[in-house]
Amino acid sequence: MKTAVYFCTCGGNISGKIDPGRVERNVAALHAGARFQQVEFLCSEEGLALLAQDLKEQRVERVVVAACSPREHEGTFRRALAGAGINPYLLQMVNVREQVAWVTEDAGAAAAKATRLVDAALRRVALHEPLPQREIDICPDALVIGAGPAGLKAALSLAAAGRKVTLVEKSAVIGGLPVRFEELFPNLECGSCMLEPLLGEVLHGASAERIEVLTLAEVVGVAGSYGNFTVKIRQRPRFVDPRACIGCGECVGPCPVAAPNDFDCGLGERKAIAIAYPGALPSVPAIDAGRCLRLNGGECAACREACPVDGAISFEEAERLDERAVGAIVVAVGGGLLDCAELPNLGAGRVPDVISAAAFERLLAANGPTGGELRTAAGAVPRSVAIVHCVGSLERGARDYCSGICCQYAFKFNQLLGKRLPGVRRHHFYKEIAAAGKDGFVLARQAQDDPDSVFVRYREAAELNVSLESGALVVRTCTAGSDATATAVDMVVLCPAVVPGADARALGAVLDIGRDRHGFFEERHSRIDAVQSSVAGIFIAGACQAPMDVREAMNQGLAAAGQLLAGLVPGRKLEIDPATAAVDAQRCSGCAVCVGVCPYTAIALAPDGRTARVNDVLCLGCGTCAAACPTGAIRANHFTTGQILAEIAGLLA
Amino acid sequence: MSGAAAGGFEPRLVGFLCSWCSYAGADKAGVAQMLYPPNVGIVRVMCSGRVDPQFVLAAFAQGADGVLILACHPGDCHYKEGNRRSLLRQALLLRLLEQFGIRRERCRFDFVSAGEAEPYVRIIAEMVDTLKGLGPLQPQGELHGAPHD
Repeated sequence: MKTAVYFCTCGGNISGKIDPGRVERNVAALHAGARFQQVEFLCSEEGLALLAQDLKEQRVERVVVAACSPREHEGTFRRALAGAGINPYLLQMVNVREQVAWVTEDAGAAAAKATRLVDAALRRVALHEPLPQREIDICPDALVIGAGPAGLKAALSLAAAGRKVTLVEKSAVIGGLPVRFEELFPNLECGSCMLEPLLGEVLHGASAERIEVLTLAEVVGVAGSYGNFTVKIRQRPRFVDPRACIGCGECVGPCPVAAPNDFDCGLGERKAIAIAYPGALPSVPAIDAGRCLRLNGGECAACREACPVDGAISFEEAERLDERAVGAIVVAVGGGLLDCAELPNLGAGRVPDVISAAAFERLLAANGPTGGELRTAAGAVPRSVAIVHCVGSLERGARDYCSGICCQYAFKFNQLLGKRLPGVRRHHFYKEIAAAGKDGFVLARQAQDDPDSVFVRYREAAELNVSLESGALVVRTCTAGSDATATAVDMVVLCPAVVPGADARALGAVLDIGRDRHGFFEERHSRIDAVQSSVAGIFIAGACQAPMDVREAMNQGLAAAGQLLAGLVPGRKLEIDPATAAVDAQRCSGCAVCVGVCPYTAIALAPDGRTARVNDVLCLGCGTCAAACPTGAIRANHFTTGQILAEIAGLLA
Repeated sequence: MSGAAAGGFEPRLVGFLCSWCSYAGADKAGVAQMLYPPNVGIVRVMCSGRVDPQFVLAAFAQGADGVLILACHPGDCHYKEGNRRSLLRQALLLRLLEQFGIRRERCRFDFVSAGEAEPYVRIIAEMVDTLKGLGPLQPQGELHGAPHD
């Protein structure tokens, strides 16, 4: 086997401390057949040309480059090998610059250490194996789960780039949470005015033909991996045919059922057949199967009789199970809001006129249950409102994060209340004020400058108590180190923590993606890879990844689309890094220790349960499984046990 | 080992460094041209989780006086939790080494980030000092009651 050592002098950076001639003589004594070449700047154009020529002329089969850190130029020299027709994994670098020349005082010791390192590399490289660069065909299409801000932005961006997108939405309408909010912070822009053009674009825009919107749908199974997923989608019946329905709403009025309106957070009433809210898209009613008399054994057909289009309403429609082939998945299912009843001392669900911020948004909305009129349960105009920030957020030992959005909407409430009910007192109970960003503090400053707005700080939810005292609503605080306060108000608005959505656990299990300690989907890196989940090809965008506002969610949707477009290009194959783990089925006992230690769900037992298998599309080559395998059945390619033991032996020879 | 101070014992040290943090920290020490003892030979692994206990045993069997395993700080692992797995293994490994008659001070696990050139150099210097104090690893073991095989 012809092996060559290329020793870069790095223009004196290396040769100024290490005498290359001395290393050459030492190495020649240990490895008689190895070629040894000094080059001044191996990474330069001239150096690389010289290397390429020498590799070809000398028919070199294994290469050691003694130069700088492999973190700097391993890629450069691997490409040089590939260019010379040698498999790039037949290279081993020796870091004689950062680990010897620059850090060793004595020249003799430096030459001796460099010799040891080159000896170790020669022993290692003799055991290197050519690793074939594997390529797989991919499907460039995408699945987007969730049609809120992040999912809509991702779907539109992908479709604009020419990709086919299946957009799966659990509810009957698209738009997510912000369509419920009449005015959004920081500039009190109307939520539906902002979103409706986007929703229209998804349904009827220039790229709409490439977006398949499946409402009332959820993903129930995923097989395959990055580049080639097969997803199973269950779609519940709407009982109204969107192709026939003209959206007139004639069916809604005659429905005899009255139920709490979930779109309005349980305030007001809805019928069993309904369009979620005026202007909702798609503009097609849906029948709530749990509430419809007909679907629960009754004889009623009031809606169908009122419908002017024959066949638009069908009580016989059944659930559908569909499959789609996609190359990647964007998870954008949003977050949830803490159920304030979990903090009983705050009175939610127990004391009248104590409501959550989401319900308060609906009370403020012109299309809400009161037409935008603010009234107490007794029908009075509130003269004093308590706004409790940080409900369930910043709780020591439990939900210790700031939810990030509450301050800004709380100060939005402050502004809207002052405008609609001049002179109304607003009492802000808060732990911290967080309103960062270039326009984030505008509403906070207005509240602070408002003579009718009062600020009371508390530390833990347990220090607050909301109750009825002789018929009057009172908020009491007992914060250590401060005087106890008692504030009589007409209404209490609780700003709950942003929490993982109710289905995050189940969806995480279906997709096999990791969740963090709070239950949000876990990103690969919180700053540089925040939309990449723990599994290759599955991206996470929006409040399912962390609490965030509409702007951040939109940006994450866009980021996920960008990553997907960069990774899956039509006509281009997906390159699989061959430095992955591989299982020797003969030695594998099927103990599944490796399955448990793999951080990327890249290892699974074969269907017969007897041996483990590595999915090299998912494996990132950390080698933890190889170290954990009790039978030595897993080999970490390019970091095999044999290669590392040879390196150790060389270091100690 | 050549280049050693005349007559003095120069311990031989093998370091397993994860590529993303600790190896980068060692590179940073190099770029900053911080001098440290030449006694350490480094084996680069992609993740400290790759460090199989048999690598450590092999190093001792072949004449190492000490072994270092350097990993990303908790929470910083490029592969999420390989460093935690490596740390968990270390506790068992130390007990195993004691059964072989090897003092636990000869096998050190530590965290070095990509920016921590100074801690890296300090760890090398400390380890070399420790090993000089302990003297060469005796093939028959150095602890009372250790198996002699």
